[in-house]
Amino acid sequence: MDIDLSVTSVRDANAALRALPAGASARLASPAGRHNLAVGLTEAITVEIDGTAGYYAGGLGRDATVLVRGTAGWGAGENLMSGLVRVDGDASQSLGSCAHGGTVVVHGSASLRAGISLKGGTVLVAGDVGDHCGFMAQAGTILIGGDAGRGLGDSLYEAVIYVAGKIRDLGADARIEELAEADVELVARLAKQHGFDHIDPENVTRVASARQLYHWGTP
Amino acid sequence: MCGITALQLRDADLRPRLGELMAAMMAQVAERGPDSAGITIYPDVRVLKGVGHPAALAAEWRLREMAGTQAVAHTRMATESAITAAHCHPFVVGDGLSLVHNGSFANHATIRRELLARGVPFDSDNDSEVAARFLAYRMAEGDGLEKALRLLCERFDGFYTLAVQTPDAFAVVRDVIACKPAIIAETAGWVAMASEYRALAVLPGIAAARVYEPEPEEVYLWTST
Amino acid sequence: MSSDSSFDGIRERARLGRYPIRGGGARRAVPAFDDLTFLTASASRYPLEGYREACATRTVLGAANARDPVVLEIPITIAGMSFGALSAPAKEALGRAASEVGTATTTGDGGMTPEERMSSKTLVYQCLPSRYGFNPDDLRAADAIEVVLGQGAKPGGGGMLMGQKLGPRVAAMRTLPEGIDQRSACRHPDWTGPDDLRIKIEELREATDWRVPVFVKIGATRVYHDVRLAATAGADVVVVDGMQGGTGATQDVFIEHTGIPTLAAVRLAADALADFPDVKLIVSGGVRSGADVAKALALGADAVSVGMAALVALGCNDTVHDFGPASYAELGTTAGGCTACHTGGCPVGIATQSPALQARLDPVRGAERVANYLRAITMETTMLARACGKADVHHLEPEDLVALTVEAAAMARVPLAGTEWIPGR
Repeated sequence: MDIDLSVTSVRDANAALRALPAGASARLASPAGRHNLAVGLTEAITVEIDGTAGYYAGGLGRDATVLVRGTAGWGAGENLMSGLVRVDGDASQSLGSCAHGGTVVVHGSASLRAGISLKGGTVLVAGDVGDHCGFMAQAGTILIGGDAGRGLGDSLYEAVIYVAGKIRDLGADARIEELAEADVELVARLAKQHGFDHIDPENVTRVASARQLYHWGTP
Repeated sequence: MCGITALQLRDADLRPRLGELMAAMMAQVAERGPDSAGITIYPDVRVLKGVGHPAALAAEWRLREMAGTQAVAHTRMATESAITAAHCHPFVVGDGLSLVHNGSFANHATIRRELLARGVPFDSDNDSEVAARFLAYRMAEGDGLEKALRLLCERFDGFYTLAVQTPDAFAVVRDVIACKPAIIAETAGWVAMASEYRALAVLPGIAAARVYEPEPEEVYLWTST
Repeated sequence: MSSDSSFDGIRERARLGRYPIRGGGARRAVPAFDDLTFLTASASRYPLEGYREACATRTVLGAANARDPVVLEIPITIAGMSFGALSAPAKEALGRAASEVGTATTTGDGGMTPEERMSSKTLVYQCLPSRYGFNPDDLRAADAIEVVLGQGAKPGGGGMLMGQKLGPRVAAMRTLPEGIDQRSACRHPDWTGPDDLRIKIEELREATDWRVPVFVKIGATRVYHDVRLAATAGADVVVVDGMQGGTGATQDVFIEHTGIPTLAAVRLAADALADFPDVKLIVSGGVRSGADVAKALALGADAVSVGMAALVALGCNDTVHDFGPASYAELGTTAGGCTACHTGGCPVGIATQSPALQARLDPVRGAERVANYLRAITMETTMLARACGKADVHHLEPEDLVALTVEAAAMARVPLAGTEWIPGR
């Protein structure tokens, strides 16, 4: 199914996508940065956004595959439950925010707060990430192929961040930990799966919670 | 709260189309600021402001017919001050400095009092005007635009994405937490900044542009040619 | 010079090395609905017969944008309180009570439990900054969505749940390690400000096929601006929670020193919505009686929400319970003397995750008490409305009220009783 967003509203386009059965595929042409494309999908369909998406592309999705051929705005793949949101270009702020499951992959770079409040999903960025990546991330995995900005992993809970490049600085309660064999295996598997050939799984930095903010004394 | 669009044309052949391009950009961020809108067009520092939907205002101003070197515009969703033309951005002060702001300052009342004590006049009770007046004041004291913007980052608390133009320059800066959106695109023919990509998508040659987001508290400055 | 209680505060901080935390709402006396009185009918106006002539209470929310608006039989809903802050039987009881009287209840910071979904005919699903347990399946199972920017007990602050209450089920729902002291975010992770909220609201509408209304809840501070902005961003309903609003746990300094009284907030919110006739207003924070409900409606609310009052109806602080003095001593409290909602040691099984304490609350019997309470205050509301000559509680207006104090007159912008004087006018 082909939908031309220069003549079809986002509301009608999303309604058409939600009507598709599992296994179907659709292409959204002329996205031109429109918001809320392919949000709230519930079936294992494939949606190709043929250009640049605005806010929340593929957000609140379950089982679907959403491919953004250009760049993506704020909150791409936000609150994803399962499935895949892939961005060929760069992603803006709050990439994969609150994702409970599934995978959010960016082949370019991502700006601030990638993986904020992550709740179990996997967020992968081939390039660099901006400040506050992994802020309050609760569970899941963040893999960064390039450099990380300021305040990496601030107030982390149980999510784990791997960084292949440099880290500008760590946020409160984040610490660098020894890389275990299981970490190397996980990073190698993710890098292979998503074509992040530039990552050497033996040479990434593991960042996790120091767990010093978990308790502050109770009356 | 608002939508920002700004454009500096390097390619002289595009200059007759400045108004047309700005009108198209503003239409894309109209929903971010449906109350009112304003624009400054250089080199003449022509300021147009009005209350109403940005698209209707652009038509009323015959913006599409206007030529120029650069422009900065704003569509406004008023936060704490009134919806009147006087409260519209850009705030144009000093030697043709225009400022537009998306966000909300947290200590502007004190800075306003400091500036008033130094004899700086104000036209409105808008928080964004304080930033414009602060920059003009610093520049009157001898600072360049870049330094003045750095001082603004030191002195102002709160959330802001700012686009500033003077007759010779165009600058963008945002606060350290960077909660309001901003995106920049550059080609050999132009440099543009907007709140959302969709406003940049209307520009000629966008597919080949270098598109990036400004880093927090980093001043981006382009001089006019 | 200073009172003993301020010395106690110093000692507590000296001992803890941090801020004191507690549950409940503001304890200080602030101007409230009690400071107003109705000018009921007499010779110039005629009353309706209290027991025979009808007075409508039906309230419809979100009819402009949503395919399925929320229809309430009474203008009183149950406010958002989380499973986590409250026990599962408490949430179930609130749902049962609300359903029985034809109104809505609301989830909280921690997601939706199957018990509350099943027991609630109309359930409002909150979208909070933490997004704990927030998912598209429950979103689509909801009858309305409430985007929470803040609450009256702690406007500008995030939620809090102490480790004693983060038991296995609560922790799993929130994807948090069991037993940690949880501090929620104060800003949403993927938008800040009304221009971006507009896009977020559109996303939630898309994900629910534009079926249900979207509420936006704010803590009462800069009410006029915030309500206007929520409406401009696309809210169907704005919920304004005043400073008397309660909480399961937060910093004492927040509870007592932030926000404005509900009395002042209603009028500002109603003014803000003057240009938005389709946007409805719900007011909460310290609503206890039918008089409070009627006064809130008269000042411009379309409905009110009760939180703490519903818990008290459920059995909170009730001396009729007799679990034995030893049981109370063990929990560090006394019968009827407890506001330690944050410790998890709730003696009546409401604000706890302890299986033994939860077992003290029978959701069916608890629901009967809450339903009784909601019926009683609805009767009081209609009684006052009829006495003012109104065939619909929504026909109450500010002109039906006068103030007993200068402060209340100024805040509610109604005349001081016996005068035509509204301070500031």
